Amino acid sequence: MSTQAETVALPPRFRWRRVSLRLGDFPLIPTLILAGVAFVAIFANVLAPHNPEVGSLVARFKPPFWETGGSAKYLLGTDQLGRDVLSRLIFGARVSMVVGFTAVIFAGVIGTALGILSGYLGGWVDQVIMRLTDTWLALPALTFAIFLAAIVGPSMWNIVIILGITYWTRYARVIRGEVLSLKEREFVRLAIVAGCSKWTIMRRHILPNVINSAIVLGSLMLGVVIITEATLSFLGVGVPPPQPAWGLMLSDGKQGLMVGRWWLTVFPGCCIMLMVLSANLLGDWLRVKLDPQLRQL
Amino acid sequence: MARCGGTRNGGSKQSDLTRRDVLALTAIGLVAGAPAAAAATAPGGQLTWAIHVSLAPTWFDPAETEALITPYMVLYALHDAMVKQMPGKTQTPCLAESWSSSPDGLSYEFVLRKGAKFHNGEPVTADDVKFSFERYHGAAHQLMKDNVAAIETPDPQHVRFKLKKPWPDFITFYSTASGSGWIVPRKYVEQVGNEGFKKAPIGAGPYKFVSFTPGIELVLEAFDEYWRKPPGVKRLVMKVIPDEATRLAALKRGEVDIAYSVRSELAEELQRTPGLTLKPVVLQAPNWLYFPEQWDPKSPWHDLRVRQAANLAIDREGMSQALFLGYCKITNSIIPYTFDFYWQPPAAVYDPAKAKKLLAEAGYASGFDAGLLYCDSSYSNMAEVSLDNLQQIGIRAQLQPIERAAFFAGYVDKKYTRGIIQGASGAFGNAATRLASFVVNGGAYTYGSYPDIDELFSQQAGELDHEKRAAILDKMQQLVHEKAIYAPIWQLGFLNGVGPRVGESAFGLIAGFAYTAPFEDITIKGA
Amino acid sequence: MKQYIGRRVGYSLLSLFLLSLTIFFFVRVTGDPAALLVEPGASPADIAAIHHQFGLDRPLWVQYGIFMASLFHGDLGQSFYYRMPVMGLYLSRLPNSLLLAVVAMGLSLLIGIPSGILAAVRVGRFWDSVGKLFALLGLSLPSFWVGLVLILVFSVYLGWLPSSGAGTPLHLIMPAFALGWYFAAAHMRLTRSSMLEVLGSEYVKLARIKGLPQSLVIAKHAFKNALIPVLTLAGINLVIMVNVAVVVETVFAWPGIGRLLYEGIAFRDFPVVQGVVIMGGAMIVTVNLLIDILYAVIDPRIRLER
Repeated sequence: MSTQAETVALPPRFRWRRVSLRLGDFPLIPTLILAGVAFVAIFANVLAPHNPEVGSLVARFKPPFWETGGSAKYLLGTDQLGRDVLSRLIFGARVSMVVGFTAVIFAGVIGTALGILSGYLGGWVDQVIMRLTDTWLALPALTFAIFLAAIVGPSMWNIVIILGITYWTRYARVIRGEVLSLKEREFVRLAIVAGCSKWTIMRRHILPNVINSAIVLGSLMLGVVIITEATLSFLGVGVPPPQPAWGLMLSDGKQGLMVGRWWLTVFPGCCIMLMVLSANLLGDWLRVKLDPQLRQL
Repeated sequence: MARCGGTRNGGSKQSDLTRRDVLALTAIGLVAGAPAAAAATAPGGQLTWAIHVSLAPTWFDPAETEALITPYMVLYALHDAMVKQMPGKTQTPCLAESWSSSPDGLSYEFVLRKGAKFHNGEPVTADDVKFSFERYHGAAHQLMKDNVAAIETPDPQHVRFKLKKPWPDFITFYSTASGSGWIVPRKYVEQVGNEGFKKAPIGAGPYKFVSFTPGIELVLEAFDEYWRKPPGVKRLVMKVIPDEATRLAALKRGEVDIAYSVRSELAEELQRTPGLTLKPVVLQAPNWLYFPEQWDPKSPWHDLRVRQAANLAIDREGMSQALFLGYCKITNSIIPYTFDFYWQPPAAVYDPAKAKKLLAEAGYASGFDAGLLYCDSSYSNMAEVSLDNLQQIGIRAQLQPIERAAFFAGYVDKKYTRGIIQGASGAFGNAATRLASFVVNGGAYTYGSYPDIDELFSQQAGELDHEKRAAILDKMQQLVHEKAIYAPIWQLGFLNGVGPRVGESAFGLIAGFAYTAPFEDITIKGA
Repeated sequence: MKQYIGRRVGYSLLSLFLLSLTIFFFVRVTGDPAALLVEPGASPADIAAIHHQFGLDRPLWVQYGIFMASLFHGDLGQSFYYRMPVMGLYLSRLPNSLLLAVVAMGLSLLIGIPSGILAAVRVGRFWDSVGKLFALLGLSLPSFWVGLVLILVFSVYLGWLPSSGAGTPLHLIMPAFALGWYFAAAHMRLTRSSMLEVLGSEYVKLARIKGLPQSLVIAKHAFKNALIPVLTLAGINLVIMVNVAVVVETVFAWPGIGRLLYEGIAFRDFPVVQGVVIMGGAMIVTVNLLIDILYAVIDPRIRLER
């Protein structure tokens, strides 16, 4: 490792960032939306008017209350099995939150850990991890996810695992690059001189400095993960029915689109869109604030 | 990718390459894309299909016919059989004008139809029949080889099959249950080889092969010298459109004239759209719930009343209305009603109150947790309803949809020993072959069996008298029903759409057949 | 330099080898192709016959050996489902995929670059927000749904565009848009940050000091330089588009390799899955390799890394 190489990867700049969270361009609405989704997810049991998984075939395809044929009993209408759309959306927030956040965190933990190991230890560890990453990147994420789904079978937690082990490489590469430059910084060298162990340095000095990038990446990955989850449902290998998940609702309801039953897809579609859009806007803002280096993500 | 923005100096080189790449790719794309231009539609003379599954070249060769219904979608157009299922009759002489069997049941003699020709103009001869039988290596070939001792061709118009032992099912298997009776031209096949034949098949059917793009499109042209009658439409195009909603959109726009498999809500829309017609067909594929725990004395399912309760809990009619517009045939048996030796069980009853009572009697007044309900993920909508129905009487289960291949692999490997299985079978055969696979000890899909049924099965296997055998098989099916080994649901309705230009679509002309056939009967309106 | 290239090529070959190994064993644990070639309920003898026909009854390592040996001769094996060489199938679909990807990339850049520039030079203004939102929207909606809405609106209601299939330029519009829109945000983001970087650079400042009008500075100096990384990313994304269009190809019945792969997975057509994945992997690895080498040519210091 030469210092020269590092200067190419990153201009010399001290990276203890103390970012002032100015409220000027703070994406308030996206934050509120995400907070709202989280709130709904947590209190789903209290908020939902009906059981999201039980319906009656008699009450199929009721439109939202303001359309003719709709009723106040089912505010946003019912689906093909007579289940309340609103209740499913509310419980769907829970699934989306759980799948989205745990998958992103799962991928983030694997990716960050491997990225740090690879970048800091170098040598054969670096070689092994990077060759593994290369192999992973040569296989399109969606293909890989379909495979995993076919192998492990569908369940919400399996989807989390699938998404986690599909997307960790995105973190590993970026984090490794950061670590390579951090390694040469004064404070790391001082720590080495002071006799800290490799483990301590990685934990105490490297990790806190890459966590910002991991968070930014995570906020941008949240959208990718949620869209992938919906796409897996479309391909028949997503969260299994009758569990209420937005992606599954969208995929189940897509045929209603042709028939004029717009509420089956427009509501979950909007939920997905708002959540992903918010995550992206927040991520973009964080990216600019926390880490100008992560420009090409 | 983290490297992209790192340096700016010397970047122009990069961008040049990228641009050049893009141009080069564009050029390849455009050049190669051009010949794919859509064939001009000859007015009035062409009908276009939207097919739901990917077309495979193996379907052009009867010798390859596996135990699967889909290849017949193409076979009926390209090829012809000695005896095949036709409108109104299961065993209709086609390339054979007639047949007769010897009194000892050991020999079958076919007389070939005069004037039947292959697409290359050569007549269909006894030699071709023998050749086609011998090269057949599809699903039933072992069974056929085990039973047929020799084939004699005394003259070009006569073929005699010598059997090793009397086999009353011979004509069933030779006509409908395998591809061995579909005739290919010997000379041509020997000339081009098996692979060449799949690339440019020649048959004796009503339509000639024109072109094929694997998985995308098949083009056929009328064979005017077809013996039955010249086909009514000059050109047929079969396009693969995998997404259901897209098939309906294409049908609505008039891009296609016939669309296979348009289900539930899309079918409703189809029904509502002026000019379009919904064509439902009942498949020979029953669906059911299976209770693999019934042989475990500790399981609730061990109690007959629990299984009867599950049977009573399922709202088959409601489910059919909700998912298939009511076009499924509720049969209450795991054996298709069109099969030989089918026994008609009492009609299925929906009575949740009685079901709850039975559960209470069995000691499960407050229900029980039944674990997982395994199903093929393409039919998880059915399973969702069953699940809901069972829930209503207190049997709580969780859905476990598994992708089709993995599901059937798991089913046959006996992986789903706990819980409930939502199964189906579209395999050919008769009541005995179904019972062998799904009920009797040692069957590929049997998770447990009852000694009295097993005993009856071995009895019928040695029974040569048709009546006596039928009686035993009836008894067996009755026992399957009484023991509530299964909760049969229905025979699946297959819903298709037909556009305004089509006169006769030929849907449903052949009982139990999912696709359009016979092709020579299809017409364009006004033509 | 030679040594560096040699090492990079070695790494690329190694990852392709690992990919072949992964995909080979992966695809074999996903299920049994025989179960799909017969109706459920078929006898075990039928299934065994199919296993034998496809060579699936041999030991795994023998199957892998055969697979690798033929791979070296450019033979990807015979498709189980189509019973024809996978290479031929692949090559017959590739032009369609490339065509779709190129047009989709064009649309994607058409959305991404202007909105990225706006976001950089008109921060916080109305058109910036509109452009940004439109680009991000593509990332926020699952493409199957976008596709179906497009079909509903433009084919069924308005009747302007054919619903599915390939053939004329009209067939291309909707699938290309559905595919390209998803990638627009990435191009928007990179254009924006790269524009900002260029605008902050010394020579742009110099141009401003010289008194050149703002629009000219942006158009002439900043834009050209800011475009370079964007086009590099576009090159990579183009290859990715070719390989990830599964959903769009399914919805629009577009005859590309994405569908070939997806159907290959659905039918457990092992040779098709292996072939498509390895060809795709080779494409991605090659592009990455080219970019690595290019960077090394441009900046010799990179060669010392790793």
